[in-house]
Amino acid sequence: MSLAFVDHAGATGALREIYDRMLARPLPPVYRPQHGGAPGIITAHSLDPEIIPKVFGTSSTLNGAGPLAWHERELVNALTSRLNQCFY
Amino acid sequence: MHEPVEALAERTHDPRQRALIELVLAVTREPWALSPTDRERWHVAGLVDDDLVHAVALSSYFGHLNRIADAVAVPLDYAVALAAPRADRSAPPLAAAPKVARTSRGELTLERRATTAAAIAAWRAYLDTKPGPLARDARVAIARWVAGWLGDSAESVDDGDRDLHRLAELVTLAPWQLDDAAFEPLRARGFDDETLFDACITASSAGAFSRITVALAGLSA
Repeated sequence: MSLAFVDHAGATGALREIYDRMLARPLPPVYRPQHGGAPGIITAHSLDPEIIPKVFGTSSTLNGAGPLAWHERELVNALTSRLNQCFY
Repeated sequence: MHEPVEALAERTHDPRQRALIELVLAVTREPWALSPTDRERWHVAGLVDDDLVHAVALSSYFGHLNRIADAVAVPLDYAVALAAPRADRSAPPLAAAPKVARTSRGELTLERRATTAAAIAAWRAYLDTKPGPLARDARVAIARWVAGWLGDSAESVDDGDRDLHRLAELVTLAPWQLDDAAFEPLRARGFDDETLFDACITASSAGAFSRITVALAGLSA
C-alpha cells in the first residue's frame, strides 16, 4: 500500500486550515478540482502539514509568473511528469 | 506504447519549444551533463538566461511533485474520458551522476528569480530544522546520498541505513517503482507512514534543490 494521506473532507485542525488557505489562493478556474476540495497534489503532502505552505509557496513563484508563458510552463510540467512516468 | 519524448523534440518545428523539450530531458535525466554549449544553443533557439533559469527551476520543482504523487498514489482530481496510462515499473532507473569534482563560474543562479530563491530557502530551512519524525542524522544522510546521485557532490557517501538508502534511491532515480514493496522493509522495522513520508520528502526535496544547483552550474561552467 502506498503512503496514507488525508483528503480535504477528512482534514481537521491545522491541516484543515492549511487546505482552506490553499483553496482560497487565486487560481485559474481550470486548476480547480471537480471534487471541490484541495487538489490531490496538496493532500499528498498531508502527513507533513507544515511543509505544504513551503512547497506550494514555491509553486506560486514558478507556475504563477514568467518569463515562460503559461503554455510553456505547462509543457515543462507535462514533459517532466512524462519522463518521471508520473500520470497523476 | 507511448511516443518517446526524444521523438517529440525531433518533430517539433518551433525552435524555442524544441529547446524547452531538450532542457527538460536533460534536467530530468542528467542535469550534471549540461554545459555552456547547451546554453549557447538554446540562446540561438530564443531562450534567454532568465527563461533557462525558470525552466530549470520549474522542471526540478515538478520532479518533486511527481515523486510525492507516486509515493502517495494520489487519485486524479478530474474525471477523464480515457484511463490514465500506467507507469512501466520495469523501466530502468535514471542514471546516477559520475563522481567528478565540478566547478562553475556561477553566472546562472536561482538568485535571478528572487521570489523563487526565497521560497526555496524557506522550504530548505523548514526541512533543516524540523524535529522529526525521521531522525535528523537520517535526513542529513538522505540529502548527502541524493546530492551524490545528482552530481551535487563529488563525495562518495553510501554509508548509513541500507533500507533508507534504498528508499531514497528509488525516490531519486526510479520514482515509478514507489509501491508497497518499496516501503515494506522499513514498515517491517516499525516505520510508520509519517516517518516514511519524511524520508520521501527529504529525498525528493533534496533532489529538486540539487537538480537546480547542478543544472545551472553546468550551464554556467
